[in-house]
Amino acid sequence: MPEPLSNITVQMPRAKLAGLLLFFLGPAVAIYSLFSIYPLVATMALSTYTSDPSGARSFVGLANFETLLGDALWSKPFWNALGNNLIFFAVHMCVQNPIGIALAGLLSLPGVRLKGFYRTVMFLPTMLSVVIVGFSWNLILSPLWGVAAGALKAVGLGSLFAPWLGLESSALVTLSLMSVWQFVGIPMMLIYAALLNIPEELIDAARVDGLGQFRIFFHIKLPLVLPTISLVSVLTFVANFNAFDLIYSVKGALAGPNFTTDILGTFFYRTFFGNQLQLGNPTMGAAVATVMFFIILLGLCLYLFLVQRRIRRYAF
Amino acid sequence: MANLRIEHLNKRYGATTVLNDVNLSIGDGEFVVLVGPSGCGKSTLLRMIAGLDGASGGDIHIADKLVNTLAPAERGIAMVFQSYALYPHMNVRKNMTFGLKFTGVPPTERERRVAKAARMLRLEELLERYPRDLSGGQRQRVAIGRAIVREPAVFLFDEPLSNLDAALRVSTRVEIANLHRLLKSTIVYVTHDQVEAMTLADRIVVMNKGCIEQVGKPLDLYYEPANLFVAGFIGSPAMNFFEAEVGGIEGGRARVAGTAFRNFDMPAASLKVGDALTVGVRPEHLVRGGAGPFLAEGIVELVERLGEASFAYLRRVDGRIFVAEVRGRQTPAPGETVTLVAASPDVHVFDALGLRVAT
Amino acid sequence: MTTDQRARSIGVHLVLIAYSLLAVGPILLVVMNSFKVRSAIFGSPLAPPDASTFSLVGYEKVFRSSHILTYYSNSLIVTLVSMALVLLFGAMAAWALTEYRFRGSTALALFLSIGIMVPIRLGSVAILNMMRSAGLNDTLTALVLVYVAQGLPMSIFILSEFIQQIPKDLRDAARCDGVPETRIFFEVVAPLLRPAIATVAVFTIVPIWNDLWFPLILTSSDSTHTVTLGVQQFLGQYITDWNSVLAALSMAILPVVVIYVILSRQLIAGLTSGAVK
Repeated sequence: MPEPLSNITVQMPRAKLAGLLLFFLGPAVAIYSLFSIYPLVATMALSTYTSDPSGARSFVGLANFETLLGDALWSKPFWNALGNNLIFFAVHMCVQNPIGIALAGLLSLPGVRLKGFYRTVMFLPTMLSVVIVGFSWNLILSPLWGVAAGALKAVGLGSLFAPWLGLESSALVTLSLMSVWQFVGIPMMLIYAALLNIPEELIDAARVDGLGQFRIFFHIKLPLVLPTISLVSVLTFVANFNAFDLIYSVKGALAGPNFTTDILGTFFYRTFFGNQLQLGNPTMGAAVATVMFFIILLGLCLYLFLVQRRIRRYAF
Repeated sequence: MANLRIEHLNKRYGATTVLNDVNLSIGDGEFVVLVGPSGCGKSTLLRMIAGLDGASGGDIHIADKLVNTLAPAERGIAMVFQSYALYPHMNVRKNMTFGLKFTGVPPTERERRVAKAARMLRLEELLERYPRDLSGGQRQRVAIGRAIVREPAVFLFDEPLSNLDAALRVSTRVEIANLHRLLKSTIVYVTHDQVEAMTLADRIVVMNKGCIEQVGKPLDLYYEPANLFVAGFIGSPAMNFFEAEVGGIEGGRARVAGTAFRNFDMPAASLKVGDALTVGVRPEHLVRGGAGPFLAEGIVELVERLGEASFAYLRRVDGRIFVAEVRGRQTPAPGETVTLVAASPDVHVFDALGLRVAT
Repeated sequence: MTTDQRARSIGVHLVLIAYSLLAVGPILLVVMNSFKVRSAIFGSPLAPPDASTFSLVGYEKVFRSSHILTYYSNSLIVTLVSMALVLLFGAMAAWALTEYRFRGSTALALFLSIGIMVPIRLGSVAILNMMRSAGLNDTLTALVLVYVAQGLPMSIFILSEFIQQIPKDLRDAARCDGVPETRIFFEVVAPLLRPAIATVAVFTIVPIWNDLWFPLILTSSDSTHTVTLGVQQFLGQYITDWNSVLAALSMAILPVVVIYVILSRQLIAGLTSGAVK
């Protein structure tokens, strides 16, 4: 039987209901449609136009996409950025989320004191602006200041130090790890909250059954918070396409060295606004945004059909 | 003060029928209790009277006025919820006056009503407190007070006592009964607790699966249940049932025959030979060594001692269990064979459809 | 407690302390060094400032050569106005979607949830065009409008979860009391949504304060820059002046940290309340 929810609308006069809906939903729907959905649609529409230097626009169908994916001048940086995006995403999935899960697991152990303190401290970087975090790490890792080099030397690993952010081979991974450092608080908090929701008695029952904390975590807690972990993965995936700020503030729009840290966000920005090397091209920018939209859509569909359906939610 | 008339009321959620052709007439000042197992539709019926749920069909009249399309506040009702539903961010006084603001009651009148209700419910000391600072019983009284100040034509109570502990439940029950005497208002009260129903009601409405099974005075339901459902629902422990059939008819008398009791005769009326019957006897009506048409034997399996009475669980000839109440200090011992008898008015016979047959 | 358990407990704390240090260390380092003279920043970066190394020269420079106070007030205005609108309109919409049944409500809820998954930035090209033709580019209004649109989907989602946790009996009681629908929302439901503010803040308000993208494309003059953009540009300009850079970073960090520490209990309670699952 469906829940006996407030069926107040059933006997409400139509006009009154319409008035209420307009009042309550009107402002949100209007602002959201006008400044979020309409621009998205308009951008997609714009991606089928081209503009000449005078600013006049003409319809070109899918020509922009052909250029983007077919013309080496465009397709090379595009695939480079997409590949880098995937690496950026992979580092988050493989480093950020496991650390988040581990920290949440430790925090949820029974009898750990100072939980509130640890949580507050560990979540702190998440509250800061990406720009600030990027720049701070930029300074710390800088060979000029020598803090990171000094720290490594202190533990006898001085020889490992390199100007990671400046090297083509390590710049992208270093930036990804900076982002991991900042955002590990989100998976930690969400999973911690999910762990708190597991009834105490269930854990007690497992202890009575003779399971240690380690086994309890892997065999009881982890399977029960799997839905949250999958939600975290989706959030990670989507955030990946918002990761413009970090690269831009540490590396600038050119995403150096030699575009090795270029991701779709910075590629989109350069295409749209231009930079030292090229003029801004709104219609091509729109095409890049449209492709990004479809990549996100594809990712979400893959998730919905491959992952979400296999995840079982348990009622407590 | 008002009467309440419900005609052909239906409620469906998709394919599920929650209420099926409910008809009920409640007189001015009457205290009516809707009782039934969970999911029987009693709460839905109450919410429909309140106007919180819409009907799929049928009419509701309050004070001879059709209220189908009226909003809850326009129906002249007040409702007391199981969860009390006190506004947590308002103190007791504000909780009671909040609704009056919107129904055009002037401030001085609001104060007068709150003062009166507070006196009646002993809430004077609590008026400035917030719900979180009140005990369960106090919250319950505030919820009732909030209903009283609206001076409604009909009070609706939705399982108001089920969140209280046992002792408080008894005292609040008495309080509600007193309140009804004082206010002389029409009350519709939903509960799943038959003790509440029996003690409070002028009339009880027994519901099951969206239908009304029987409407009647508490003792009428107890002594003359209209059907098997009511017979089994009212009374605790529940009535014992024995399968039977009409073994023969002779001179206007039907022979009620079964395997687990001694056969007896009853007026044949419209019964025919071979009709399936069910014989029902309440545990408290089974006595050792009395006289009566009904006689059954059983081996004592277990005795539950409650103090004022004990309940013996007996295994019948056909292997099933029935219950008999035993008074006094001498209780039968397990393994003992006991013969039990019930007098004629206490033996209920139901036909194949489960309807009562006059004995 | 057995020795074994004690050893494990110490182990757990060691890991948590180590990670806590990793989390705050870099922030402390930046803030600490912003109060030191240049030679001390490089000479002994890990030492706290003392009488001989203390200096505010970086801060003086920041105040002198940037409009940091304007940036602050812009950020404050944009964030507070956006927050008020996101909460108000978000709660109103969440209420209507959870409370009233009407044809198309599921479709509308789906429509509104697109914005949770699809970043509004993808529409930047059109947003810039719109703001230009409406004469709103380089205004705080433009930022507020975009941020409200960006924040609404998530806030509607979170607030719906909170509204569903408010007992249904409360609204029913109010209806029996004759309270009009709009008043039920504003006087019964809205006051009970206060615990939700923290959760909404983390997911929609903090990103607004911290955003670089939209100030970058929608504002062009100093008078409309926000702290994030202003500091970012200042940093780019004075990259070699370590005192100023560290001071500018600290000035961006400190207010957030102070507010966070004051509100952290509510923030974390909101996050772990289970409303976001």
